[in-house]
Amino acid sequence: MTAMTSSTRAARRPGRRGGSHWWIHVVLGVGGFVMAFPFLWQIIMSLSTNAQVQSVTPTFWPGELQWQNFAQVFERLPFLSQLGTSVMVTVIRTIAQIVLCTLAGYAFARMRFRGRAILLGIVLSILLVPSQVYLISQYQIVAPGLFSAFGTFLMRTAFLNLPPELEEAARMDGANPFQTFWRIMLPLARPSISVLAITTVLWSWNELLWPLVVSTRAEDMPLAAGLATLSSDRTIDYPVLMAASLMAMAPVLIMFIVLQRRVMDGLASSGLK
Amino acid sequence: MPAPTPAKGRGRRRALLGAVAAIGAVALLAGCSTSSGAASSGSDYEKASKDTKATLTYAVWDENQVKAIKANLTGFNEEYPDIKVNVDVTPFASYWTKLQTQGSSNTLPDLFWMNGPNFQLYAANGKIAPITGEVKAGAIKPDEYSSALNDLYTYDGTQYGVPKDFDTIGVWMNKALFAKAGVAMPSKDWTWDDFQKTGAELSEKLHADGAYGAAGGMDGQTTYYDTIFQAGGNVIDKSGKTSEYDSAAAEKGLQFWTDLIKSGASPSIKQLTDTTADQWFTSGKLAMYQGGSWFRSALTGTDLEKDVVVYPLPKGKEQATVIHGVSNVVSANSKNKVAAQALQVYLASKQAQQQQGDMGAVIPAYEGTQDAFTKTMPDADLQVFLDAVDYAKPLPVSKNTAAWNTLETNLLPSAFDGSTPVDQVAKDLATKMDTALGKEK
Amino acid sequence: MTIHTERNPATGTPARTQRASGPGAPGTELPDAPRAGRPPRRTDGFWPWLFVLPLLVGVATFYIWPIIQTFWYSFTSWGVFGGATFSGVANYVRLLSDPQLYQSLLNTVIYTVIVLLGIPIAVWLASLLNTTGLRFAQFYRVLFFLPYVAMPAAIALVWRIMFNGDYGIVNWFLGRFGIDGPYWISTPGFALLAVSLVGLWSSLGFSMIILGAGLKDIPPELYEAAELDGASRWRQFRSVTVPLLSPSIFFVVIVTTISSFQLFDLLYAILGSTNPVIPKTMSLVFYFYSAGFIDNDKGFAAAIAMVIFVLIGIVTLVQFRVQKRWVQA
Repeated sequence: MTAMTSSTRAARRPGRRGGSHWWIHVVLGVGGFVMAFPFLWQIIMSLSTNAQVQSVTPTFWPGELQWQNFAQVFERLPFLSQLGTSVMVTVIRTIAQIVLCTLAGYAFARMRFRGRAILLGIVLSILLVPSQVYLISQYQIVAPGLFSAFGTFLMRTAFLNLPPELEEAARMDGANPFQTFWRIMLPLARPSISVLAITTVLWSWNELLWPLVVSTRAEDMPLAAGLATLSSDRTIDYPVLMAASLMAMAPVLIMFIVLQRRVMDGLASSGLK
Repeated sequence: MPAPTPAKGRGRRRALLGAVAAIGAVALLAGCSTSSGAASSGSDYEKASKDTKATLTYAVWDENQVKAIKANLTGFNEEYPDIKVNVDVTPFASYWTKLQTQGSSNTLPDLFWMNGPNFQLYAANGKIAPITGEVKAGAIKPDEYSSALNDLYTYDGTQYGVPKDFDTIGVWMNKALFAKAGVAMPSKDWTWDDFQKTGAELSEKLHADGAYGAAGGMDGQTTYYDTIFQAGGNVIDKSGKTSEYDSAAAEKGLQFWTDLIKSGASPSIKQLTDTTADQWFTSGKLAMYQGGSWFRSALTGTDLEKDVVVYPLPKGKEQATVIHGVSNVVSANSKNKVAAQALQVYLASKQAQQQQGDMGAVIPAYEGTQDAFTKTMPDADLQVFLDAVDYAKPLPVSKNTAAWNTLETNLLPSAFDGSTPVDQVAKDLATKMDTALGKEK
Repeated sequence: MTIHTERNPATGTPARTQRASGPGAPGTELPDAPRAGRPPRRTDGFWPWLFVLPLLVGVATFYIWPIIQTFWYSFTSWGVFGGATFSGVANYVRLLSDPQLYQSLLNTVIYTVIVLLGIPIAVWLASLLNTTGLRFAQFYRVLFFLPYVAMPAAIALVWRIMFNGDYGIVNWFLGRFGIDGPYWISTPGFALLAVSLVGLWSSLGFSMIILGAGLKDIPPELYEAAELDGASRWRQFRSVTVPLLSPSIFFVVIVTTISSFQLFDLLYAILGSTNPVIPKTMSLVFYFYSAGFIDNDKGFAAAIAMVIFVLIGIVTLVQFRVQKRWVQA
């Protein structure tokens, strides 16, 4: 990132000043609308009755807003306790991933050890395997998602992009690798860590498959799995499901809105490019 | 009378006989205890003592029934205060995947729900315990349940599951649409012809509203299985090894739906895949919906409820309907077998079943406890579903029902939409189904 | 459920390994050469292992071991609850002569191609979004990222309803232009198209964010220089933006390809499990699922899994080769 302020940049950036802006807004507006439309539809559905949702002519506006669908969510699901589970699982996973992946990423980036390339390759190969494959293995897997190949690569790249002189300096000062890591490299990698945290949060929040197969009581399930229980084998109560889904989405969405800047900055300097 | 044998031979023969007898005795004993794959120590049942301590896992898939289950458990705990039961709800779609994983690692829940299509797999592989012992001890009385249901959960002559609830198929009629079309309600004694004619007439008169008189679809349990039975045919033979789709009766049963779509009485198969028949009905765009008793829960509280009445299925060559229901089974390897069986017995009792019926969205299986069901929609004549038990046939299943269900889904649409002659599709389906059945282990 | 949202952390970027010599912000990269007077470090002793072991143990247990198991299973024949018997290459022979495999492969490729078409769109939109001083930029960004935040299961259902042939909004919309929309979900070709469009829709946001970040790092002086040379906006885009953005583009392409090849949840949720179009529309992973969990033929399914693994590996390797030529280091 150069030191130039955005206003000087604006003055210098060709052809992007003033008047031509309106059509950009049109394009982005239309695009944004298309992106957001299914959510608008979801909101409409959550305020309708089941019959209206499935009626053979589209119901654009339910007329009578069925707010009770949202209340029903609390009746049908132990929503708050599932929310708690989701939060807990997500936090644990995020912390675990940050710890494990920064450590490993740093080692892969900056340390030399025998078999480094091979191990890296092995970890890499996991990326190619679809998650459903793990189901046929007999494993009683309790906690996948603490370990991540994606996270390792993200951190490795981040560390690769940091200047090695810092390390050399630290080494000359007699710091052992861990101290170097902890005091110097890690703080510098903060943007990438933010990215890792956010992607992990998003992924973990929406994850469905493992919790379904593994969890027992409804109260212990994370939200995504809890939502699935709303569809029985024969009927789907669309409005309640949509209401629940909106409510489940809200925390993460708010988090994203608040941390938006952080995400963008993190990605920009993470050396993903 | 054996011929007199010389003295020496007699001694030897006696020894031989003795040996044979001994071997026979051992074989007999061996046969009585654990045999190879199927029924493990099934015949033993001991009534749990009141102070039995255990923690059980009870796996189910319907979140809507948890309230009723918990009420059952309260009653159960009055008799067995120290048996704690954890109810484990898994959505239907993942229930079987999870169960299979558990089956493979022998960590099945102590007690769990079983349905027809998956039953034989678990029974044949010795994963569930027979109820023979409980029946012998009089704790479970099969006579109190429909024989078709008992048959559904019997494998190789042994019954493993105790029926918990059931559903049958009838025709849900929308009186208001009939009135709008100006078509008289048919008699409840109707035949295939009546159904087809009424359907076509309704569709014609309701055309402007985009509504239809009847609907086909790919849900065998509510549609083509029933007509196949009504034509006197079968989907799968009694031994569960051969398909009977290629019989004339089965083909007649399938033809019923081709005709229905062709005459315009029913939406096309494509339309029905996009929007299932029940959705047409709840949107008020279908006058006659062949559906299960479970459909009641989709209607309660809606505007449609007051316009609805139930008819029995139209007669073909004979009267028939498909019956199916969930049963409770105990894991053969359960570490808390005695306690699990106690729970199984309790849930099968009249009192628990009555409670289930009064509270829940299902029809309990126990004879005489179903009154609550009919009361939920007093004007709709839900009694039709109960009466149907008398002429009900169990849902067609095998050890790997899903495999040939997929074949049905893939092949039958072209028969229904008229693009391929029905007998051709039926023969093709029968052949492929036989191959699938042959693969079952 | 995966749209692109269940970003199974096992989907990432091998691109990074090349990035080691890539351009960071100017001036931050130096070769890792030994300093004068110091011998090159051979190894850092036990330290690396300390760092790497926790991750490796976890990865080995939860990821590597099951893969090895699956590899083994592909050579066996199975009962539903165990009881594997060795059957050699029988599964593979059967698999390679099964037309369903090739149909599934074709479907997966078509899906992937359509979703990849979203990348040029994402580049364009990202560059628009990147316009300096754009008002509401934050707002737009949130809008575009929404699909990524959504709960996949519910969103897939919404799309399914929207694509409904009789009462879906998509056909209603088409109807306004006089187009008679098809029964999307129930017609073989259109079903795949519908699912692909949803895939495209949901991956756009993620791509835009990554590309947006990449765009921010392109020094404006380059644009000025180009403009001074009389280059049109389009020319600038072609000669400045695209080349400098190419590492990001490459990253997005790799991630999207790998993720698209693993299509399953979206397909399953939108089509439903009892849809006649499934055989003609199923993806590779769906084929795996149907073999393993519907037909209960786990050995065969394992073979499919291995084939998928190899295919994705090949595709990724090819992309790397391409990268060497097209991506500006």
